[in-house]
Amino acid sequence: MKIVDIQNLVFSFSSTSEPVINGVSLSIMKDEIVGILGPSGSGKSTLLRLIAGLEMPWQGSIHVAEKPVVSEKLFIQPEDRGVGMVFQDYALFPHMTVNENIMFGLSRLPRKERKPRVMEMLELVKMEEFSERYPHELSGGQQQRVSLARALAPKPNVLLMDEPFSNLDADLKAEIREDLRVILKKANITCIIVTHDRQDVESICDRSIVFGQREEVMN
Amino acid sequence: MKKKLIRRSIRKEFNGWWAISLIGATVILLPILFVFSSLFFKPNENWFHIREYLLGTYVKETLLLVFSTGVLTAVLGVTLAWLVTAYDFPLKRFFRWGLILPLAIPPYIAAYTYRTMLSYTGIVQATLRNEFDYQMNPEWLNISSLRGAIFIFTLFLYPYVFLITRAFLEHQSASFFENARLLGRKPFSIFIKVVLPLSRPAIVGGVVLVIYEVLSDYGVTSYFGIHTITTAIFQTWFGMYDVNTAMRLAAWLMLIVVGMFIIERLLRSRQRYHLPAKSRPLAAMKLKRFSAAAAFTYCFAVFSVGFLIPFVQLIAWTALTFDEVWNDTFFTLVYQTLYVAFISTLLIMILAVIVANVCRKQSAFSYFLAKWVTTGYSIPGAIVAIGVLALFIGLDERLAPLYAMMGMEDAPLILSLSIVMLIVGYVIRFMATGYNAIEVGFEKIGTKYTEASRVLGQGVTKTFFKVDLPLVKGAIFSGFILTFVEICKELPLALLLRPFNFETLSTKTYQFAKDERIHEASVSSLIIIAISMLSIIVLQMINKKVKE
Repeated sequence: MKIVDIQNLVFSFSSTSEPVINGVSLSIMKDEIVGILGPSGSGKSTLLRLIAGLEMPWQGSIHVAEKPVVSEKLFIQPEDRGVGMVFQDYALFPHMTVNENIMFGLSRLPRKERKPRVMEMLELVKMEEFSERYPHELSGGQQQRVSLARALAPKPNVLLMDEPFSNLDADLKAEIREDLRVILKKANITCIIVTHDRQDVESICDRSIVFGQREEVMN
Repeated sequence: MKKKLIRRSIRKEFNGWWAISLIGATVILLPILFVFSSLFFKPNENWFHIREYLLGTYVKETLLLVFSTGVLTAVLGVTLAWLVTAYDFPLKRFFRWGLILPLAIPPYIAAYTYRTMLSYTGIVQATLRNEFDYQMNPEWLNISSLRGAIFIFTLFLYPYVFLITRAFLEHQSASFFENARLLGRKPFSIFIKVVLPLSRPAIVGGVVLVIYEVLSDYGVTSYFGIHTITTAIFQTWFGMYDVNTAMRLAAWLMLIVVGMFIIERLLRSRQRYHLPAKSRPLAAMKLKRFSAAAAFTYCFAVFSVGFLIPFVQLIAWTALTFDEVWNDTFFTLVYQTLYVAFISTLLIMILAVIVANVCRKQSAFSYFLAKWVTTGYSIPGAIVAIGVLALFIGLDERLAPLYAMMGMEDAPLILSLSIVMLIVGYVIRFMATGYNAIEVGFEKIGTKYTEASRVLGQGVTKTFFKVDLPLVKGAIFSGFILTFVEICKELPLALLLRPFNFETLSTKTYQFAKDERIHEASVSSLIIIAISMLSIIVLQMINKKVKE
């Protein structure tokens, strides 16, 4: 089953500027971990924002779990798309504890099931002891794991990760990459990871898509 | 195809937040448009009379007042700002914020305090007469003149220039000034050649605020008997009840404001406030004996005349009249003032939060909406007042059949006699104060938390209450205090828009002063000053936080 299906997507920040994304089509199958590789400015983060519904394309359509979420006539708001996202700087709510952050996305779950789901997620990312901490009391790697748990908690159709390693120390990278792969496989989630580092893709992803000036080079 | 995209965008963006913002913005703009519409009505003979014999004087005195005050506040504000940033002298740390204090004394209070102090029976002449047996020519000390008004405005409004220029200079990199010294410039030459040109955008920004205040003023000018367009607007209304002519005058005043705006743009030209990141700030230089004494004397003199002397005088007068004034009527007055200010501020903050939240997503439309709701600040109070008044009278005329249907035939004026009119006036005039504070708050948190919340399944409204609101509550609080204080101090709007027999602290103070009951006015003056100090404290707190 195609979890994400993108047809002929065109996007630019204003009507006068060059399109950052110009006629992109791609599809992601269920349970795939796909890396999108490209230099900065190539529009890969924008692609994630388009899938999440944080930007609106000029042309083209996106289907998530075989339901249209954006086309020329239609726009489904981000909260109704069933898409999870880990932001580049994690965007953990600074006024909420780890527990509250993870609980935040569970408002559609019956009240009784929320607490167990949070516990389950904390266990998945091995952060059980930190549940009462505030984000600023955590290290960068810990924040990333909380952010991952928060995004996975509502059981999204697809998880989008924007440059997951850009804010981490280089010597921690290898270890965290391995952890991430284990967590993603355990969670059985379809995932799109945007990065500029080929090594990220090689160690985590099932396949990769290269973005950027390639077309121009070939011409 | 384009149409389809636009329709999709509207469907995507449009929600209750936009609807409320647009309604609010319309209410804000309506009275101002009303003032302009007066230019298309047929003028009556009052207008011809004013245009023929008076308008020339009004415009001349207004421009003279604005120009002189602008230049003098710039001189005072910039020199003081440079002294406290670049040099070290006794009590400099105190002067750094102490020199802002004159802002806590509204000019109309300063005006009556100084006029009384300098009058024949006032402390200055009385002391000279009794202690030194010296009879001064009373003309020398007569400040009920254009000169006097310039003196008052300069001393009590210069802190705007001081505050902005000081903040600007404190953020400048030391290397500019050190380079100038290495290149062989003396301190005075550095001030003229480097400091002044460098801080031009800040100076212009400060002076513009001063000019807006002067153009808005009714208290000082009417008390001193000066004929500005603002006083003319009031006299046309209070003397002749001629709204149309008053609106025409307001439209003229508006022209001056627009002119100022254009001059400001030209003076700043392409310069903007530019704060280089992570620069080493200027280290203050220790002054030697003589220059340290001179710097201290200058700062202390301005501080005394601008704050200490009138403040102490008001305390002395309060001691004389406290028992007489401090009674139930007075409590009602304080309560009424605070109550109306509270309601107005609350409305402002609610609308400001809604509009600012809508405008976080940048687009041409949100840019205009933001400019639109904050126009009231750059428009003198008299214009806002007369626009609101005309609008409400017009509304009452339209609604007359409805009133009649409800059995109130003998009450043709309902809205324009109610407190609603004053509150609407306040909201229009002070929207910008609240809005700007909140905008800064939103800019600081960015949009990532909001986006995270949306992706986690919360709609716009839930996101606002669970994420945005808790994160900007500090900004909302400081915006609330600043707006609240502005409203408590405000005079012209309150005078013109209050319901019959309704007094606020500022109108009562003004009334006392006008009736030559100066001593009685001191208690309410001190309360207004105390409230104003609150906003200075808040500003200091924000300043500290930014530094940390």
